[in-house]
Amino acid sequence: MSLRVARFIYRWRRWLSGFVVIGAVLLAPRAQIQNIDNDLTAWFSREDSVYQDYERFQTEFGGTRTLILAIEAPSRDRLFSAESFDFLTRLSEDIKRVEAVQRVSSLATATIVDALASTPDGDGGLSVRRLLNDLDTSTPEAIGARAIEDELFRGDLISKDGTVTAVVVFFDESRIDDVRADVLARIRQLVSAGLPDGFKAHYNGSLEITEWYNRVTLDNQLKFTPPIFVLTLGALFLMFRSWRKTWLTFGAILVSLFWTLGLYDLFGMSFNVLSSMIVPLVVVLAVADDVHILQHYGHHRRTQSHEDSFIATVSHLLAPIFSASLTTALGMLSLATSQVVAVREFGLGAATGVMVDFAISIILVPTMLAWVKPETTEIPQETWFIGPLRRVAMFSTRHATAVLAIGAVVVAVSVAGATRLKVDTNHINFFSERHELYTSAQVIDTKLSGIYTFQIFLEGGPDVMQRPDVLARMDRLATELSTLPYVKKVTSLADYVKRVHRELNDDRPETYVVPASSQEIAQELLVFGLGDEGRAELDRIVASDYSRAQITVKLASMSSDLVFVQVNEADRLAQSIFADSGVVATVTGSGRLFSTLDHYLVRSQISSFAMAFLMVFTVIFIVFRSWRFGLLSIPPNLFPVLMVFGVMGWLDISLNVATVMVASVALGVVDDDTIHFLNRYRRETHLGATTDEAIETATIHEGRAALTTAIVNCSAFGVLMLSEYQPSAWFGGLLALTMVVAFLAEVFALPATIKTFPKLFGADAVRRADHTAEVA
Amino acid sequence: MSRLLSLFLITPFLHTWAGNERFLEATTFPQSRSAEERGTQIARQVQDRDTGRDSRSTMRMRLFDRQGRVRERALSTLGMKGGAGRAVPGDRSLTRFTYPNDINGTGFLVWENPEGENERFLYLPSLGRVRRIAGSETQDSFMGSDFTYEDIGGREFEDYTYRLIDDTSRWTAPDGTVHPVFRLESRTRDPKAKFPRVVSLVRQDNFVVVRGEVHNRRDELQKVFDVKRLERVNGIWTVLEMVMVDTLQRTRTELVVEKVEYNVGLTAADFSRRALEQGAR
Repeated sequence: MSLRVARFIYRWRRWLSGFVVIGAVLLAPRAQIQNIDNDLTAWFSREDSVYQDYERFQTEFGGTRTLILAIEAPSRDRLFSAESFDFLTRLSEDIKRVEAVQRVSSLATATIVDALASTPDGDGGLSVRRLLNDLDTSTPEAIGARAIEDELFRGDLISKDGTVTAVVVFFDESRIDDVRADVLARIRQLVSAGLPDGFKAHYNGSLEITEWYNRVTLDNQLKFTPPIFVLTLGALFLMFRSWRKTWLTFGAILVSLFWTLGLYDLFGMSFNVLSSMIVPLVVVLAVADDVHILQHYGHHRRTQSHEDSFIATVSHLLAPIFSASLTTALGMLSLATSQVVAVREFGLGAATGVMVDFAISIILVPTMLAWVKPETTEIPQETWFIGPLRRVAMFSTRHATAVLAIGAVVVAVSVAGATRLKVDTNHINFFSERHELYTSAQVIDTKLSGIYTFQIFLEGGPDVMQRPDVLARMDRLATELSTLPYVKKVTSLADYVKRVHRELNDDRPETYVVPASSQEIAQELLVFGLGDEGRAELDRIVASDYSRAQITVKLASMSSDLVFVQVNEADRLAQSIFADSGVVATVTGSGRLFSTLDHYLVRSQISSFAMAFLMVFTVIFIVFRSWRFGLLSIPPNLFPVLMVFGVMGWLDISLNVATVMVASVALGVVDDDTIHFLNRYRRETHLGATTDEAIETATIHEGRAALTTAIVNCSAFGVLMLSEYQPSAWFGGLLALTMVVAFLAEVFALPATIKTFPKLFGADAVRRADHTAEVA
Repeated sequence: MSRLLSLFLITPFLHTWAGNERFLEATTFPQSRSAEERGTQIARQVQDRDTGRDSRSTMRMRLFDRQGRVRERALSTLGMKGGAGRAVPGDRSLTRFTYPNDINGTGFLVWENPEGENERFLYLPSLGRVRRIAGSETQDSFMGSDFTYEDIGGREFEDYTYRLIDDTSRWTAPDGTVHPVFRLESRTRDPKAKFPRVVSLVRQDNFVVVRGEVHNRRDELQKVFDVKRLERVNGIWTVLEMVMVDTLQRTRTELVVEKVEYNVGLTAADFSRRALEQGAR
């Protein structure tokens, strides 16, 4: 079968290669991976209940994905000065005019409610006004002190020590993702233009974090793509000492990338941070496939014609490359069931890429090798590796028990490390401690109320939110939520009602309660909402007909898994407190959105990884039509994965949205090595080799290809370890580690397993089993 | 003329003087005058109309939020014009909510003070006492609606500059009749104003503002005012139905004047704190 396919490809190689190259040229313009889709729906399915809750909330109260701008003054005196307040006023006004900005919350826009002192001729009164309106009649210091005293501002807009103030920018979420980068840059310009001397501006918030992801992705592409390609070229040249082979391989990798990314776009899928991982995946697998082809072809070409070498190489490698590609593709395809749109698209894109790369490797590379002169001398890859690998094969076969014992110890240590592994995504900790996102989070977490928020969305009939019992429940829930760990601040409609009630009752502390009658609440809220400031405040927290309201919960920056726990606990409390109240409570907001997204990502990756793992054995079982080989493939595949998890556990690298991708990519590489080795081992046994001879040949040839691939990819992706964005550094480091461990598993664990169980995997057993299968 | 705050003084949007012939005569400007001069003269004439000494009205306000949900409020209002030679130094108004029931009786009294801060008083039945309320801006919301005090009470003439954009436009009334209008642009002199620019359509025959396009600080069209029903009441052209749509916030307020009477003989005592308190009982 393989021979027939090889002959067919050879016969039509020019047409097929022409099609591949023309296709790549046509698809190249679509491979615009730098055009990142920023829309939330690139991640969330519109059918997802978490997204729908957020949409419903957003329709009512606007988006909660904000930019938090913390202005840090050198001292309290400097912050509470006319200069500083003037800056805040101008800045707030200027930001309001920036495209897609919906609302700005700052001391300059803050509304205060005060009791007016009684006059000799009558009762006192109520003042609902802008905080900074008092600048005409009061000192900046007094206004600052007034702001700190106000529990609605303290933490949100001003730090307790009066040195940091926040400007929170809310956006029209239907537009912001299209213009986000420009809008955030414009706001930075406005801040820089007027920032008083000695003041510092810190930027954070969910929108800023998302934008940093994009910046980092693009920056990494810009910074690391050239060295990755140069190092790939350099390593390939070093291994094969042939510029033609080097450029040919490089060209084949580019063709694979153009096809993959072009088809990805053609299928209507959008590029995002996750889909950018398709590039390294395709490069790694393309290098692995092409190295096998170069090595086999080179070996045959020394003694045979191009046609014979072509057919021999393709017929020999068709099954293992196809199997390896298929297992990886099916593993990736299992991601297509993920709840996260971007993961689904990544799965489909990666699966397509892997199979496209298979076709290109098997058609284009051997065809182009016709232009390469036959090797006359040993290439470095042979000179350097054959001898050592022969000795490795001898060691593995002679000391199989010791190898397995060492392997067992390594596995035990790895398992111990793996038990320390945490599923944990902390977006802020992804950045170095010097990074502005990290430092700004520190300032906002320690001085203000934290960078994360989630909301409790309350829905009921008209006027229900004015009912005393419902407001009392809101108040109770807010109190309960405040006791949760990491919660820094909770604000609800009840706080406003209590505030107005107290101020209307001459600021008597005992009147800081929810009034007992609906009429009283309705009238007091009417008064509060008569002015623009009050109306704007109310619009943020309650619907105009009082059928819906929100409670805002602010959290310090932390792992999204902890946020997820908080969100679930808040949900439990809300359901319990609002039971039988006629009000439906839903936890939503950006905190829930992004913690759920991370949860989905890790969960889908873990289940996909498990699926991929099963897939490897199933495909090996089907391709080799042998349960023995399926069984034999377990140790060399399990070993690297366990070891990578173990190293992660010992080094405190969490399983997060970034590192979990490594496992999938690693498995794609690891099973390649295993399949090639087993294919060669089986072939050699069929040709009459003993177990030791077959192991030696497989180690020298397939181990060599694996080692070459590992060297090329380690040198290329190792540069990612220099990235100050930790997920990129982890990805590079762990990928390099995986390649090395996969190679070690192939040349040590696999032969030692074969030797330890000769009745199952020995040459005679394999021959006997295959003969029985053929007869059957 | 002092700033106007109550419904009865809805000068540009609601009322115009009955004897419009005077204005028609005055606005046949020579074409050689600049657009600014012509605009200023039209604005002056809109502003200077006689709107009666006082008024009493009832109206319904329907407030639509961005989800299309509607809240209805019923109000009764009293208004009295102030100024030199009048009973009170500044305009006075008393607005009382009569519906819905939970806010029934809530009253709002405004004493405009030409020399300084306006005084505002509030009466909450649940509290049973009058409370003073600190002031708000002319471009603030009127009773929580999409109208501002300025939309309702009229713009301070001196606070704006004017330009006649054209005098050949036509306005089609809701009943299908077509009227020639002036298209007038007003720009505020206040750099902090929320709505610095308004483009109005002023009917040439009676000088009623029948449409207003209100622009925000980004010069986006934020609000659109439209007259839905315009009739003569006691000889005074009166807008009986109007709507203000906030296109950015996607909210809308409809105001229907159910009954209006002019020159009913109100006195300063009708606008006292006692009246605010007693009237609710």
